[in-house]
Amino acid sequence: MSKAILTDITKCIGCLKCVSACKKENKLEMDVPRIWQKNDGLSAENWTSIIQKPDKHYIRKQCRHCLEPACVTVCPVGALHKTETGAVVYDKDKCLGCRYCMMACPYGIPRYDWDEPVPYIRKCILCYDRLKNNQQPACTEICPVKATIFGERDELLKLAHQQIKDNPDRYIDKVWGEFEIGGTSVFYISDIDLGFLAYQTRLGTKPLPQTTAPAMKSVPYAFVGMGGAMLGLNWIIRRRNKLGKTEKEQKEATDE
Amino acid sequence: MNRVQNTKLVLWLITGLAAAVGLYRFIYGLGATTNLSDATPWGFWIGFDVMAGVALAGGGFVITAIFYIMNREEYHHLVKPAVLTAFLGYIAVIFGLLFDLGLPWNIWHMMIYWNPHSPLFEVGWCVMLYTTVLFLEFSPVPLEKFSRYARIRNFLMRFRFVFVLLGIMLSTLHQSSLGSLFLIMPFKLHPLWYSNILPILFFISAIALGLMMVSFESLVTHWLYKRKPETKLVAKLGKAAVWVLGIYLAVKMIDIIASGEFGLIFDGSWEGGLFIAEILISIIIPIVIFSTPWLRTKTGWQTLGSFLVVFGMIFNRINVGGFTMLRATGDLYIPAWTEITISFGVVSVAALVFLFVIEKFHIWEKSPENPEARPHAKPSFDYSSRVWLGTPGIAAMTKYSLAFMLTFAFGVAILPEKQLESKGIENLTVKKARGENILFIDGNRDAYGVAFDHARHIDSLHLKDSCYVCHHMNIPLDKNSGCWECHEYMYSESNVFNHDWHASQAGANIACGKCHPDNDVRTKQTAKKCIECHTDMLTEPEEHPFERLATASYTDALHMQCVSCHKEKAVSVPDKQNLAECASCHESAPPEHLYELLKWYDTKPSYNRVILPLEKSNQEEEKSL
Repeated sequence: MSKAILTDITKCIGCLKCVSACKKENKLEMDVPRIWQKNDGLSAENWTSIIQKPDKHYIRKQCRHCLEPACVTVCPVGALHKTETGAVVYDKDKCLGCRYCMMACPYGIPRYDWDEPVPYIRKCILCYDRLKNNQQPACTEICPVKATIFGERDELLKLAHQQIKDNPDRYIDKVWGEFEIGGTSVFYISDIDLGFLAYQTRLGTKPLPQTTAPAMKSVPYAFVGMGGAMLGLNWIIRRRNKLGKTEKEQKEATDE
Repeated sequence: MNRVQNTKLVLWLITGLAAAVGLYRFIYGLGATTNLSDATPWGFWIGFDVMAGVALAGGGFVITAIFYIMNREEYHHLVKPAVLTAFLGYIAVIFGLLFDLGLPWNIWHMMIYWNPHSPLFEVGWCVMLYTTVLFLEFSPVPLEKFSRYARIRNFLMRFRFVFVLLGIMLSTLHQSSLGSLFLIMPFKLHPLWYSNILPILFFISAIALGLMMVSFESLVTHWLYKRKPETKLVAKLGKAAVWVLGIYLAVKMIDIIASGEFGLIFDGSWEGGLFIAEILISIIIPIVIFSTPWLRTKTGWQTLGSFLVVFGMIFNRINVGGFTMLRATGDLYIPAWTEITISFGVVSVAALVFLFVIEKFHIWEKSPENPEARPHAKPSFDYSSRVWLGTPGIAAMTKYSLAFMLTFAFGVAILPEKQLESKGIENLTVKKARGENILFIDGNRDAYGVAFDHARHIDSLHLKDSCYVCHHMNIPLDKNSGCWECHEYMYSESNVFNHDWHASQAGANIACGKCHPDNDVRTKQTAKKCIECHTDMLTEPEEHPFERLATASYTDALHMQCVSCHKEKAVSVPDKQNLAECASCHESAPPEHLYELLKWYDTKPSYNRVILPLEKSNQEEEKSL
């Protein structure tokens, strides 16, 4: 029962109602311009934003809630985790502030309270509290043109493909989030390329946790292997020294 | 000149400055003291303090492996200093990390909350365990001095081989896992530095760096205490390092060629140049120095060679740790001086402890004595030359504490409070205002009111039917457009009251008596207030005669009808580009009832007001209204 959001870029009118609903729902404070913010509208106090592109394109940026999230994999204390609803949520009581999740996210989503002496990671949590009460997220609920909708992941995916099939002239034949880095829980269909939402336009379909998995899996082997190798080496060298010594002694004995 | 004392003095100076910066870091937070940003969350502290720090402390496991595992007795002199360097190095890494972590008091969470998939979790655990192992490995040295702990010492000595073995195993893991940290960022890291075998590259280079760090540290401390350098041993270590560096270079180049990125080195980008520089500094030149027999036996060349490896590998860790990500993140991160100060401060403290331990405990065959200053000797006054002979220990201490206090005070003085509180625009508390012609608004959003001539803005900017040009700039989440959004230079510094200009003949040419009453002392306090001449300038909100009303934001101005306009009006309006202009619907000026409507909005918990957390100020304003 993994949930998802589907955003149709061609329908969005850029009214920013989703942004304000998000702020209201999550009790976010007013944003002030800060030099540590990126120019994509997201910040510690803005968990979703509308990026305006030429020709009246409004692209909503938010956490993609990846199926195999890099941020969840890298968090050393498991402060982030993927829930059964599909939302990637954050537990601020566990966090120690290493900011590895910010480094690992290919979309640059997690933001930080840089101005606070006690800072936390801030990101979209897919209105997890509402999901638990069988409500939909505030942003999809308020959207006046149904440009961003909420539902079961499988059904939304079907719907997205159907939409593209019905209007082949209107969309690029691709559902962003279907396969990218193993799939995400936030889909986009669009008439322009949305690669710019990530650090690299072509992220590939391999889930990012798989890049570290081989190294992490070989950790116990490396540990034991290095120990064994060192013990073996030590044994060989000691034996060689001993043999060398006894040989010398024998030689000395024969010389005498 | 006294080398030891001067070195310590410099280290204390850096420590003092770093202590001041460190204090501010914890009072005002990371944003105020660093240049880190949402695009560059890891900076100099991770690259230098953690990544390079751990690699530099790798000398411990390399030398113990050579001495205990390979039974090379001749390296005995180097073992204790190397283990000490490693121990202090790891303490410094943890200490430095406390500044970088947002919630450093939660660092122990790694012990109870586990995520074994995270490379950082593994690094954290290995560093914790290895630091403990190093503590056990090193503690026999200070315990030697206290005979009552002999039993503990003997116990530790018996298990030394186990500690050494564990230390090597743990080092293997985390030296390589520091590389694994970056495996998850193929999208950020430049392909020349990103590689699937990054952990292996990190491990091999840590061995080379370990060999050279031990050499460099030995050369420097021997120079410091004017002892005979360990030329032969360093030459041997150099020879070993040539092999390791050679393997490192081969593995690195094969990996780059295999992944088809060789062309990137010579594509003329700055990253290509950086890569060549890194390879030259950290690998090629040291190999040349240490494989040439008549160079590797000379102390000067040895120092240069080992320094190049140390520097080059730090450079490599910083490159991987974020420097080569600049192109992907598009954020030009340059470490703030505060960040660099903290890093150097941590290193300085570690170096001071290192020197203290070498002087007090049995690290070398013979504990070094400061050749010029004999700390335990009584100073004697030489009557013929009228100076004190021999520097008493307490005099040196006085110098050090003075140095620390001086730079600490200097640091506190040069860290301006304002800059620490924010680098952006702070305190955007906007006072609401709306009116026909002149409004009293807190345009600067800094609690100073200005008389805003609404009509004049419309006239001079030719905005008669284009309310949206200004009102549209508020995204719906802002209360008003700030003045600074157009008047960009509003916050640049200026001399607000130019006294000389007012008084001079070429300027306003105002006689002194006009502002300063004749029979009084001519001070700022007794002078006339600005507003008495500049009547259009308002300083006190109470004095202004204008109506105070809320400004219409975009959604207000367009009657909160984004959707219906886009759906319905878009069909009838021929020029869709100008849909947001008032004139596309309203053929004449806004009708009278619009103002009533806007007043009605004020009474409602409107769209803007609900979002903002400024309930307190809203209430206050409502009271004043």
